[in-house]
Amino acid sequence: MAAMTEPIPANADQINEDVFRTLQPPTPLYVLAILLMGGITTAGVGALAYQTYFGMGVTGLQHPVMWGVYITTFVFWVGIAHAGTLISAILYLFRAKWRNAINRGAEAMTVFAVITAGQFPLIHIGRLWKFYFMLPYPNQRGLWVNFKSPLMWDVFAVGTYTTISILFLIVGLIPDIAAARDRIPDWRRHLYNVLSFGWRGTGEQWRHHARAVLHLSGLATPLVLSVHSVVSWDFAVSLVPGWHTTIFAPYFVAGAIFSGIAMVITVLVPVRASFGLHAVIRAEHFDNMGKFIVLTSTIVGYAYATEFFMAWYSTNAFEQAAFWHRAFGDYWWATWIMITCNVIVPLPLWIKRVRLNVTWMWITSIFINIGMWFERYVIITTGLSHEYSPAAWGYYTPSWVEMTILAASFSFFMMFFLIFLRMFPIVAVQEVKETYYENEGAR
Amino acid sequence: MAEVLGVLKHPLDTADAVTKLRGAGFEDLNVYSPVPSHEIEHALHRGESGVRLWTLIGGLTGVSLGYLMTIWMSYDWPLVIGGKPFASIPAYTVIAFELTILFGGVLTVAGLVVHGLILSRDTSSAYRPSFSGGEFGCVVNCHSDQIPRVQELLQGAGCTEVRVVEG
Repeated sequence: MAAMTEPIPANADQINEDVFRTLQPPTPLYVLAILLMGGITTAGVGALAYQTYFGMGVTGLQHPVMWGVYITTFVFWVGIAHAGTLISAILYLFRAKWRNAINRGAEAMTVFAVITAGQFPLIHIGRLWKFYFMLPYPNQRGLWVNFKSPLMWDVFAVGTYTTISILFLIVGLIPDIAAARDRIPDWRRHLYNVLSFGWRGTGEQWRHHARAVLHLSGLATPLVLSVHSVVSWDFAVSLVPGWHTTIFAPYFVAGAIFSGIAMVITVLVPVRASFGLHAVIRAEHFDNMGKFIVLTSTIVGYAYATEFFMAWYSTNAFEQAAFWHRAFGDYWWATWIMITCNVIVPLPLWIKRVRLNVTWMWITSIFINIGMWFERYVIITTGLSHEYSPAAWGYYTPSWVEMTILAASFSFFMMFFLIFLRMFPIVAVQEVKETYYENEGAR
Repeated sequence: MAEVLGVLKHPLDTADAVTKLRGAGFEDLNVYSPVPSHEIEHALHRGESGVRLWTLIGGLTGVSLGYLMTIWMSYDWPLVIGGKPFASIPAYTVIAFELTILFGGVLTVAGLVVHGLILSRDTSSAYRPSFSGGEFGCVVNCHSDQIPRVQELLQGAGCTEVRVVEG
């Protein structure tokens, strides 16, 4: 198997060499990828400018479906952002050392995903410049925001998550930036000199650093569970059939970890191949991530089944109609894409040989990304298009403006990830070396 | 005063060197390490980090601010809904929880900056770039007449290189 034939690092300096290879000057292919991503992002900015000038009428949003692609994409990217904190904080507390090779990539992905997500509520409100209405600030009319609204909870949850994710990334990066400062000879040396904050890896510095990482992990662990719970309450606190259920919080959290781990695989497989990081990011890491996918896919599949079962068992006509519509109504195709990608496609990962096959894992991860976007689309559009009164039923079709902005969200995310890849170590060098020294063979 | 530097290849060797030096009465030590190491931390025996107090203060500030802000604002602009209380503690617990994490996290990093980057700033000329790669440094501050004894201890601890630091 691939895991048996992959090289292991010869020594600690070899780990440095392997990882800092990603910081070499960019290749033409890299520049082309950045230009492509930049071009799509620019098209998205153009579509947003068009929407801002002509108003929300240029979208497909109309009564009764007033939440569409934008809120779907917001929930999708918040979900993606969960993998970084899961891998960095929760697995850190559980002392799962295998996380060391992938946590930096996942943390960077988390930061860019949550920044991408944060733009969508603003795009959705149409009048971008009114976003500050969501903040509790003293104003002329003496009125305050309504803290009983789950939308306000979301502002605080996503705001806190963004801040803590960025801090987590920076704290972990400091020792590695210092290592880059000591090795990279070009103009970036000055940047690293500033960003390493005088780090030299003294005993005192490590003592405070370890304590800070431990506390941040302890704080981020309940945070990561709360954020997608709060996002799920945007739906569950309402009375819309198909939304008003108590399983939404754990169902959303499991789905978020599922999609987040899938995105880590989607992003890291090409990085590993491009920079020859096979000795650092090994097949066993994909095996472990595959186990997470199997677990969360099972939870998500169970949640889908529970929703349908409870609709039938409740004898509530509106719930039953909502779920009949979900499976066999106007959006049947989206529902079955969701079920196929999230429940059926991951099934082979129960077999270890499949989890060790990196190519198979990568293809599966792309299907899961698609499936998890459709999961949010299905929940939002089927719920709103088919509420209580048949006279108020409708059908939502996204416009080209929404689809362009959706595509731009992916390019925006990838563009910043690619820039990060060339600017900072994509693997946590100090943590990989820590594992290396802990192995008996290192002595 | 003089600085003697010993270069090692493994964190356990470094921890052993520190233990031996401290056992011989040399307490003014500094270690350079490319990785975090519990063994070195225990050998240095420096006690608990002050960062934890920052986290506690941040968390308590966040939870207090979360409840006080939401309750005060609810009474400052009352929304009358079916005779229910203006302040809804279960709903506000979400805000208080998020602010606990936010303030706790921000102050933890502030504590790291103060204790780990400002107060622990190292300007010794003993530092070399290989200490962020695959080498460990053990620096001993001692009187000139103690240099031979320190060199002997460092060599005995498995240092690949021992030298007196200039300037």
